[in-house]
Amino acid sequence: MSKTPVPKGFTPVHSARFGKKGSQKLAGYEADGGYASWKKVAKGWKSGDFTPAKIIDMVKASGLRGRGGAGFPTGLKWTFVPPKEKRGGKPVYLLCNADESEPGTFKDRLIMEEDPHQLLEGMLIASAALDVKHAYIYIRGEMVRCAEVLNEAVAEAYAAGYLGKDILGSGLDIDLTVHRGAGAYICGEETALIESLEGKRGHPRIKPPFPAVSGVWDCPTVVNNVETLAAVKFILDNGPEWFKGMGRNEKNTGPKLYCVSGHVEKPGVYEAPMGIKFMDLLALCGGMKGGKKLKAVIPGGASAAILTAAEVADLPMDFDGVAAAKSMLGSAAIMVMDETTDIPKAVTNISKFFAHESCGQCTPCREGTPWLNKMLKRLIKGEGKRDDLDLLLQISNQMGNGMTICVFSDAAIAPVISGITKFRDEFEAYLSKAKAPDFALAAPAEVTPKVADRVAEGIHG
Amino acid sequence: MSKTAKVTVDGRSVDVPDNSNALEACRAAGVEVPHFCYHPGLSIVGQCRMCMVEIEGMPKIAASCTVPIRDGMVIKTDTEKAHAARNSTMEFLLINHPLDCPICDQAGECKLQDNAVTGGLPVSRTSEARRQYPGYERTDIGKHVIADMTRCIQCTRCIRFCEEITETGELSFIERGGHTIVWTHEGRALDNELSGCAADVCPVGALTTKEFRFRKRAWWLDKTRSVCTGCEVGCNIAVEHKDRVVHRFIPRVNADVNDFWICDFGRFRSEELNEQELFRPVVRGKETSWGDAQDAIKAAVDAAQKDVLVLGSAKLSTETNWLAAQLFGKHLGANVEFVVDRGDRHRVKNKKADGNVAGWLEGYEAAPNSRGAEAAGVTRGGDTGALAAVLTGTLLPKVIIVLDAAFSAKAEDPAVIAALRKAGTLIVCSRRRSALAAAADVLLPVGGVHNDEGTFVNVQGRVQRFDCAYIPPPIVRTQLEILTHLGKKWGLFDTRWTARSVFEEMRATVPGYAGLDWDSPALVGSAPSASPAAPHDVLEAPAKGGLGLPALQEVGS
Ligand SMILES: Cc1cc2nc3c(=O)[nH]c(=O)nc-3n(C[C@H](O)[C@H](O)[C@H](O)COP(=O)(O)O)c2cc1C
Ligand code: SF4
Ligand code: SF4
Repeated sequence: MSKTPVPKGFTPVHSARFGKKGSQKLAGYEADGGYASWKKVAKGWKSGDFTPAKIIDMVKASGLRGRGGAGFPTGLKWTFVPPKEKRGGKPVYLLCNADESEPGTFKDRLIMEEDPHQLLEGMLIASAALDVKHAYIYIRGEMVRCAEVLNEAVAEAYAAGYLGKDILGSGLDIDLTVHRGAGAYICGEETALIESLEGKRGHPRIKPPFPAVSGVWDCPTVVNNVETLAAVKFILDNGPEWFKGMGRNEKNTGPKLYCVSGHVEKPGVYEAPMGIKFMDLLALCGGMKGGKKLKAVIPGGASAAILTAAEVADLPMDFDGVAAAKSMLGSAAIMVMDETTDIPKAVTNISKFFAHESCGQCTPCREGTPWLNKMLKRLIKGEGKRDDLDLLLQISNQMGNGMTICVFSDAAIAPVISGITKFRDEFEAYLSKAKAPDFALAAPAEVTPKVADRVAEGIHG
Repeated sequence: MSKTAKVTVDGRSVDVPDNSNALEACRAAGVEVPHFCYHPGLSIVGQCRMCMVEIEGMPKIAASCTVPIRDGMVIKTDTEKAHAARNSTMEFLLINHPLDCPICDQAGECKLQDNAVTGGLPVSRTSEARRQYPGYERTDIGKHVIADMTRCIQCTRCIRFCEEITETGELSFIERGGHTIVWTHEGRALDNELSGCAADVCPVGALTTKEFRFRKRAWWLDKTRSVCTGCEVGCNIAVEHKDRVVHRFIPRVNADVNDFWICDFGRFRSEELNEQELFRPVVRGKETSWGDAQDAIKAAVDAAQKDVLVLGSAKLSTETNWLAAQLFGKHLGANVEFVVDRGDRHRVKNKKADGNVAGWLEGYEAAPNSRGAEAAGVTRGGDTGALAAVLTGTLLPKVIIVLDAAFSAKAEDPAVIAALRKAGTLIVCSRRRSALAAAADVLLPVGGVHNDEGTFVNVQGRVQRFDCAYIPPPIVRTQLEILTHLGKKWGLFDTRWTARSVFEEMRATVPGYAGLDWDSPALVGSAPSASPAAPHDVLEAPAKGGLGLPALQEVGS
């Protein structure tokens, strides 16, 4: 059983079987009651005891919100798929977003590596609800082990008749394919994921049309996160009321996996009811590392605005709670920073990530992310200029709010804006350390390293 | 006409087709929203983020090309927020741009330059080193196109062109984010029938054609409406020239014919127009005056008593062919014939037009106007006919008049020249020295298609007008002038006749020309655009001005 501590009175859900011997195997999963819900659905399908509407209503009633980042109500998203008569004969696709690459996020990986069948069962139920004949798991390229475990689990599920044609005599035909990406952060954005699955470059699409209407291969498509789809299984196991019973309020419900990293005694994935207070979560992690003082927290992955120690002092870690503090729960990747952390350096590091991962379509993002990074790098090298902080903020403000196709650009600026506004004195300290010459004429021209490599390899030029 | 919707742009109300986007609606209202990646002939990607506008009811600023319009939509391009957004995009585009306009061929017709001059910030706020692209500068990426990534703004127009129009897909984004370059796939060249158009669509100087590089500053170029003479598709072009030198051909938009494109074969024939080699009439080896030359022709033709063969040409206008048919055929009883070579296939993409092959218009003839020549009353010769008979020796006219020494590749064949030479008097109109010209008794110097005006009839039966870029050099004449002068000798024509008056005269009798108007948009097509990257997109396709002549059914099937 999971050795990770949980809050008092809370029984682990997603993580219940993590670490258990043979937890990945079908036999063990079934022994622990796995696939009971799927069997119920399959059995009730012909009799009409289970209908798509019934499942969708259960998901809606549970209050489940997407665990991939935006916290969009899952049941509502499912209703955006046009009814059969309006689809013009097109199939519906379900895509599980397993691209998990938001810095600080490592929860989906655990589900897939430790208990893959909970995801498969959730996907099967969702597929039945959405009239999906073929579902895909789009998994981040680097997660080789996950893909192996998943593929084994899929093979087991086919062999057991949970997947395939006329599943358990229900008349339902569902296939499931695990597709490995090539390791680009942007492929976690749902429309980039769709493009990538189609075999194209992972470029986010302009919306509308939204995937529910026209997604992969121009067919109605639902994209959900791993944890979201796994939660569907537990909602069917225990009922929507049970799910709703966990959590802070009607809109923030269910169990939640939190990925805690940084300056805590025991970093890791912790499961708790949605809306656990930050300080309680910190306590589960054994508190601050070495008893140091808390300085700042990134509550939802690199894309989330940095919060100060004061802002998290009484913060419920759920979608609306973190949003009220002008940041976001995102993928619940909580990065804890103690008093020794150099915020400008942390922000620079994050900006490097975004400059590296921008897909390059939109001018503000393609040009803005490296510009921010170059300025920040110069700043922490002690070559900052008086106007740099204001310029950083101005550029950031030019990159968000509709200026780009996807919200990557909005994500890229959140740490910069919050870092500078909340920890301005630290940035100014770098400015006061700045060396004399105020112009960069002598700076060597930047050479795109990959391009240079290609030339060296003689591939081009 | 599809359904329309009413939208308001900066307070002006316009009706636009209901499948337009907000950028197109603005255009229809006369408001040009600055943009880069939008191209009327390519798919919408909304990547450059230049065409930002405010739309009532939408909380965020929006890229107008990505917003489908709705009835009643209110678009505002002139707000503080919209200007700020566009200025911002300009700033981002310029921080890594080399700003090498003084040595860039695109200068003067560059969308980046235009948008920077008409909007954008007056100062630069960056002090970071500009991105460099070693190995990706000034490099051949194909037979005609040179790429320089330092100038690229990643608009993907060229990529989309190769994917959607030529369907050859040579180009792609390589790398990602700020490292993104646009290049050919490894080991491939930009090699397709329309590759020059990739340089046209490029809004900046990142893709330029070798043929035009460093030839002429774009702003010096005069632009004349013309029609490509490479084949019978009849792509609309602008002949761009300065000081009596032709520098390039650029497609002119015609939604019914070539859309926004022309093929490389047609485009790079422009240099031929600069090859004028003959400047004076020559009679039996002696340079002479037009008067003497005309007297010699009249004497020979009168003496021949109808035993005359006149070769018209599918490379000449319908008007010129008509004059030849009238003068020599109708009045003097001669044989007036033309032949046309069946050449390689040339084609242009047009997804919408009634192309002869799905999505394409194809031409197989090595001349633009066989249909017009025929309609003008010149007999279509070939394996049989007068010329064929001359070549087999079964016909021996006393006089042969070749109106266009380049009428066919046959004109270079010594056996053919020898057969023509058997005529008592051989009269040849030519621009260039050639064996046929050398064999002529009377050699008349003529200009090129760019020195003339008139109409051609294309593969679809469409009558299209071409204009005169500049008149021929002193003494040199067009065939039309030669014919009006000759006609006067017999008291039939007037030397003041122009292509237009001939056109108006012949309308009554030439099939397909009835009721056509010399100045109608259907004939003239669209105006040359200021920049190849900013084609005049005719929102309304020009009315059909077709001859009603049957298109060659067997062609391309
Ligand atoms: C830049 C970017 C990266 C993203 N990466 C992921 C990811 O790795 N995994 C994920 O589940 N969602 C990711 N998302 C969110 C997805 O676009 C999408 O909202 C989500 O998969 C929907 O699932 P949910 O409704 O279950 O949360 C990302 C979004 C953006 C803009
Ligand atoms: S915002 Fe950035 S990541 Fe998103 S589509 Fe545009 S360039 Fe790509
Ligand atoms: S080369 Fe030109 S057309 Fe192609 S992406 Fe760059 S700027 Fe656009």
